[in-house]
Amino acid sequence: MATIPPPVPPPQPALNQAQMNPLPPSVFTLPQTAQLEALYTIIRSKETSRGDFLFYSDRIIRLLVEEGLNHLPVVKKVVQTPTGATYEGVGFKGKICGVSILRAGEAMEAGLREVCRSVRIGKILIQRDEETALPKLFYSKFPQDIAERYVLLLDPMLATGGSAMKAVEVLMDHGVPEDRIIFINLIASPEGLRTFCTKYPLLKVITGWIDLGLNEKAYIIPGLGDFGERRYCE
Amino acid sequence: MPDDALSRPGGRISPPKLATSGIQPAKNTVLVSHGRPPWYGENGERISDAFVVGIAGGSGSGKTHVAQQIVRSLGSIPSVVILSQDSFYKRHTEEELALAHASAFDFDHPDSIDMPLFAACLSDLKACKQSNIPVYSFVTHQREDQPKYLYGAAIIIAEGIMALQDPGLRDLYDLKLFVQCDSDLMLARRLKRDVEERGRSVTGILEQYLRYVKPAYDNYVLPSQRYADIIVPGSNNTVAIDLICTHIRGKLLERSNFFRRKMAIPHLYTSPSGHSLPESKLEDLNLTILPQTRQLEGIFTILRSKTSSMQDFIFFVDRLATLLMEFALQFLPYSARTVTTPIGTAFTGKTMSAKYICGVSILRSGGTLERGFRRVLNDVPMGSLLVPSNNTDGEPLMLHVMLPVCIRKRHMAEETWVFLLDAQIGTGASAFMSIKILLDHGVKPEHIIFVTFLVARGGGISVLRRAFPDIKIVTAGVDDVVQEGWIDGPQGGGNEQGRQVWTILPGLGQIADRYYL
Repeated sequence: MATIPPPVPPPQPALNQAQMNPLPPSVFTLPQTAQLEALYTIIRSKETSRGDFLFYSDRIIRLLVEEGLNHLPVVKKVVQTPTGATYEGVGFKGKICGVSILRAGEAMEAGLREVCRSVRIGKILIQRDEETALPKLFYSKFPQDIAERYVLLLDPMLATGGSAMKAVEVLMDHGVPEDRIIFINLIASPEGLRTFCTKYPLLKVITGWIDLGLNEKAYIIPGLGDFGERRYCE
Repeated sequence: MPDDALSRPGGRISPPKLATSGIQPAKNTVLVSHGRPPWYGENGERISDAFVVGIAGGSGSGKTHVAQQIVRSLGSIPSVVILSQDSFYKRHTEEELALAHASAFDFDHPDSIDMPLFAACLSDLKACKQSNIPVYSFVTHQREDQPKYLYGAAIIIAEGIMALQDPGLRDLYDLKLFVQCDSDLMLARRLKRDVEERGRSVTGILEQYLRYVKPAYDNYVLPSQRYADIIVPGSNNTVAIDLICTHIRGKLLERSNFFRRKMAIPHLYTSPSGHSLPESKLEDLNLTILPQTRQLEGIFTILRSKTSSMQDFIFFVDRLATLLMEFALQFLPYSARTVTTPIGTAFTGKTMSAKYICGVSILRSGGTLERGFRRVLNDVPMGSLLVPSNNTDGEPLMLHVMLPVCIRKRHMAEETWVFLLDAQIGTGASAFMSIKILLDHGVKPEHIIFVTFLVARGGGISVLRRAFPDIKIVTAGVDDVVQEGWIDGPQGGGNEQGRQVWTILPGLGQIADRYYL
């Protein structure tokens, strides 16, 4: 391998920092390239067809998962190449699994499986309890050995952060340490992100875009509407 | 006179084929029998034009026959096209059409041919560019709307009664032939052809002959004979054909240029200009390298290991190709775009603003990037090139060119962004030829984005970079060494069946074999 300059940390998106400066140390975003901006422009537009919404949100999800995987540990590994040379590389260490927060989180599973073949995927359903107005766990199903795995927690939109925090609580109840969870998310609100990171400072968050904020109905603005609705229903 | 002298030359009754070549020469089609060797030097400039032969002679004199005999006698020709003057009849008005259907239109006058267009097409082909030649229908007596795309001939044979008539055309020929034939034989052949193949009446044919064909021959065709380098007899002409072919072969040999060996490991060989190059430094190569993350290193470790299963290899090649494509898309142009979100808020973002985008895959190993490409660009055309190495000297040969419409048409090619896909750049020879093919078509160098898994720093990349400083090269990794080796033929012992090979170290092995076989 030729001497390749060490990886530079991706430049933090100007717009993302505009909403939140500095970013909490546990938050990582994608390099804000013109191309990424173009992808977000497509999925944000209400004129975008369902087919395009699927295709372009999948592209962003794949990039987010790739970024999330870079936070997993690796170990040194030496292999023989077909040309007879020896190559000192690295091997992946540790087992992983995905956990999607129903229903919108499931939309990220296809992207995850394209990057991590036949990865195990747990599910979790959290809804607002009408009596207490707090998020409540309705259903969960995890791989049996989840406590020994790194968990990629999937939810496309982080608004108030209520259901994401509930999901982390459930995972930790199942024995997953906080620092072995990576939360993967398409669009976050600054207030939701701040609450989340204050409560779980060791948990890494990979987000594609930090938006302006929330409106009175707790929708992210400018946002992209209801991700699950657009993906599955409209 | 041979038995078939009366049949339409090269028509239904064709002369016996040579055992060495199974070519059936057709007009206006690029025939490839053994691939076209490089037509450019190591600076990327064209070193020679295509060789152009002009053949004139009266109607029925045997021009096509002579052209086809030349093609056959040349044997293992690189690539050849026979361009027929008939394609260049002008677009007709309604009145002319009516005359044509009543057999009262003078097709034998020089004015019926679009000479400037003929010369322009021939000039483009001679300069190794693509050309979209008109298609003329003898059924409707009209030029059709869809032109025919031609590219890549090393030899062009232009034939037609007026082929030597126009000074603009004459300037383009490297060799001018006139096929000499007796008028009575020409008339006999014409009668036979028009009655049998075009269902005309004898009276009509004779009338047309006396009114148009014969005067045109006497006034325009025959006088153009003085421009010819060689007068070829219309029959019993094997000696003449033989002489012509010897001449053409000699000219082609003068133009050949073999430099793969020098290109493969540039710092080990002196260039034709006499000095050898220092080993290239990474920073001079201006490569765009995928950020070297832990995951990327892990993927490379799996791909490099010879014990990885095929299943794993395919999966990680696809994953890496997807990452590379996402990364490569940064080179497309973007402009501002404002949209309204379902919440009703405006958002000003960006939109990709390239007019045309396409992929071009260098087969076979470029195919390993195609799945990744499709995951990122699902609705753009994908062309392909097959430029394998010649078994004896390792020179690349252009065998197959299938390019998207947005490259075939020159005015579109200038606004097309091309992702050129190949698994690795080792000697760089096939990359070099593929880039040259795109540039020949008018694609701008800064619009070519070469996407590859691995570049060998000590290999042909330095020659490639110096020849094409403006193209973008996006790679996932860089290895240091290209090693020269030799694979013995089946009989062993370094016999003629063996071939020279170049291997990147530590490398990934034969990527296409591991992905497909």
